[in-house]
Amino acid sequence: MRTDDQPSGPGAAAPYRFAEQHTPPPAQRVSEVAQTTFEHVYEVDPRLMEEHVLQQVFPNWDTLRIMRSRHDHLAWMHRHFAEKVVTGSEILAEIDRETATPPPL
Amino acid sequence: MTITEPTGPIGTAPFTTAPLSDERLTALVAALRPVLGDDQILLAKTDRYNRARVPAPFPVHRWSERVPDVVVMPTSTEQVAAVVRIANELRIPVVPRDGGTGLTDGAVPHRRGIVVDVKKMNQIHELDLVNRTVTVGTGISMLKLNERLAEHGLFYPDDPASYPCSLVGGRIGTSGWSLIGSRYGHTRDLVLSFDHVLPTGDVLHVGDGIGQKISKSSSGYQLKHLFMGHQGTLGIATRATLKLFPKPEAELSPFWAFDNYEDAHACTGALARAGVATFAGAVLFDEHKVAYLRRDDEAYIPQPTDVRALVCAVMYGYEDEVRAGGRRLFRIAKEHGARYLGDEISEGDWAARHDRYATPLHGRTKDGQVIPMSWHCEDAAVNFSNVPAVSRAWHEILADLRRKTDVFDDWGMFAYTSSNTGVDYLTEIDVGIWEQRLDDVAWAAWVKAKRDIAAVALAHGGSMSACHGSCREGEVDLVPQELGRGFDVMLDVKRSLDPNNIMNPGKYLLDRAYGRDTTDENR
Repeated sequence: MRTDDQPSGPGAAAPYRFAEQHTPPPAQRVSEVAQTTFEHVYEVDPRLMEEHVLQQVFPNWDTLRIMRSRHDHLAWMHRHFAEKVVTGSEILAEIDRETATPPPL
Repeated sequence: MTITEPTGPIGTAPFTTAPLSDERLTALVAALRPVLGDDQILLAKTDRYNRARVPAPFPVHRWSERVPDVVVMPTSTEQVAAVVRIANELRIPVVPRDGGTGLTDGAVPHRRGIVVDVKKMNQIHELDLVNRTVTVGTGISMLKLNERLAEHGLFYPDDPASYPCSLVGGRIGTSGWSLIGSRYGHTRDLVLSFDHVLPTGDVLHVGDGIGQKISKSSSGYQLKHLFMGHQGTLGIATRATLKLFPKPEAELSPFWAFDNYEDAHACTGALARAGVATFAGAVLFDEHKVAYLRRDDEAYIPQPTDVRALVCAVMYGYEDEVRAGGRRLFRIAKEHGARYLGDEISEGDWAARHDRYATPLHGRTKDGQVIPMSWHCEDAAVNFSNVPAVSRAWHEILADLRRKTDVFDDWGMFAYTSSNTGVDYLTEIDVGIWEQRLDDVAWAAWVKAKRDIAAVALAHGGSMSACHGSCREGEVDLVPQELGRGFDVMLDVKRSLDPNNIMNPGKYLLDRAYGRDTTDENR
């Protein structure tokens, strides 16, 4: 499935550059045990994967594919169980409006 | 105590875990050939090993003890009946495998023999749009069934955590529990009737009364429940008629955060007791679960540290009624100090609940290093008021295990509503198990912990399983205690329906019906 952040036009056929694919964005620490690279992509702190399970190197396209596949899967599940999703934020906004606007006397 | 050993065709199936001798295997295959096609009789090592495994962790060095001698893949009730008749005549164990997704070893061939894999019986035989029923082979999965039903705007709402891979037959064999059962009922409520092959090979149609599409009858004994939840020890369901609902127009699944467990627990109870018609379930996450998720789940890693407990509620129905019910539940949550976690987590996490078997897992040693772990989950049915006490006691059991070894990791607890009144909860503790390091000592410690976990549920007036069943080593020891005189009735029923103990032998301590106590064998 094509998404907006994939190259289109002439760039879509750009050559595969190993160095590019194996250089993820700089990791940002998000907790004592985890870090993030791409948006929505979290990884275990590499220092915690040195003895029993070694961290694997993924090219960027594969990291993003796994993340997007997960999102596709969750979206599919929603469609499978119901025709539409009512968001909690809508309901919360209605409740907050009720609180802010007391009924007329 | 009388010990009955088989002597030829008279007597019970052997109480042995040894493979069939070449002579007996040859005789078995020869008897099966007139009944099944060559491609329905599987003898290859890969075919048999693939059907020895279930999700519940078991010591790797002992996997080979539980490999069947033969796998058969029937396509009809008649073929299943013929296979069972042959097994009964030859006194060879026969074990139904309906997906093999259960967590209490129901599909594990403890005594080897024949595994009956039902997944070729996956047809939709009849869709009755007027009476809102569907009749299916028990080898169909709910996901595949619902894809077909959606074309007609219909829905079969049996929703286990193994939704994409579990089968209708397995749901009958375990009397399954559904995530959205508080709205639609559980498997026992959704299955109207089914064809069932008894251990002698006779075929019985079981439902309310004799009806195929009757949801309530007062005629005769209520046999439907007897032939559900027996873990394959009383026969094999082959064809089932199911109750259907309109596919929901709308879903709402808010997740709320709390800074303490007590408020979250109180809120869960209030949501469940509210009597909202579209309420399909609520889930309480305790502090250990939140700590585990913050460690390893991308949705929760960024959450602030004052998020210590979570509650989710889910509603299904027409959009207008979901919105109205949603407003009521949001007001209740607000009164209990809940903070809404946002749409992304609420929708993403709920969608993931339908498919927990697909989640790759890892745990931690005590010094924090990542280790590969398999997931196991111990469950119980517990009244709302007792959930906190049971949770505390279960975590103490896990903490004791963890002090001794890195093989086990406490992944926290969920409590799910079982009904629309909030009376009782499927209470589960998730445990990471380093299966490759599960040696005999660690296994013995785990079996003891399982027994202790079950004992806590009973001590608090609960049942030791709301969902999985209770025939695995450890908890099974307490089944006679939980059922009392009822366990003797189980033995009587088993002996009466399965005179030769060929149907899934070695489960639920039912060998006692044949004068043999095998509780501690192979431990």
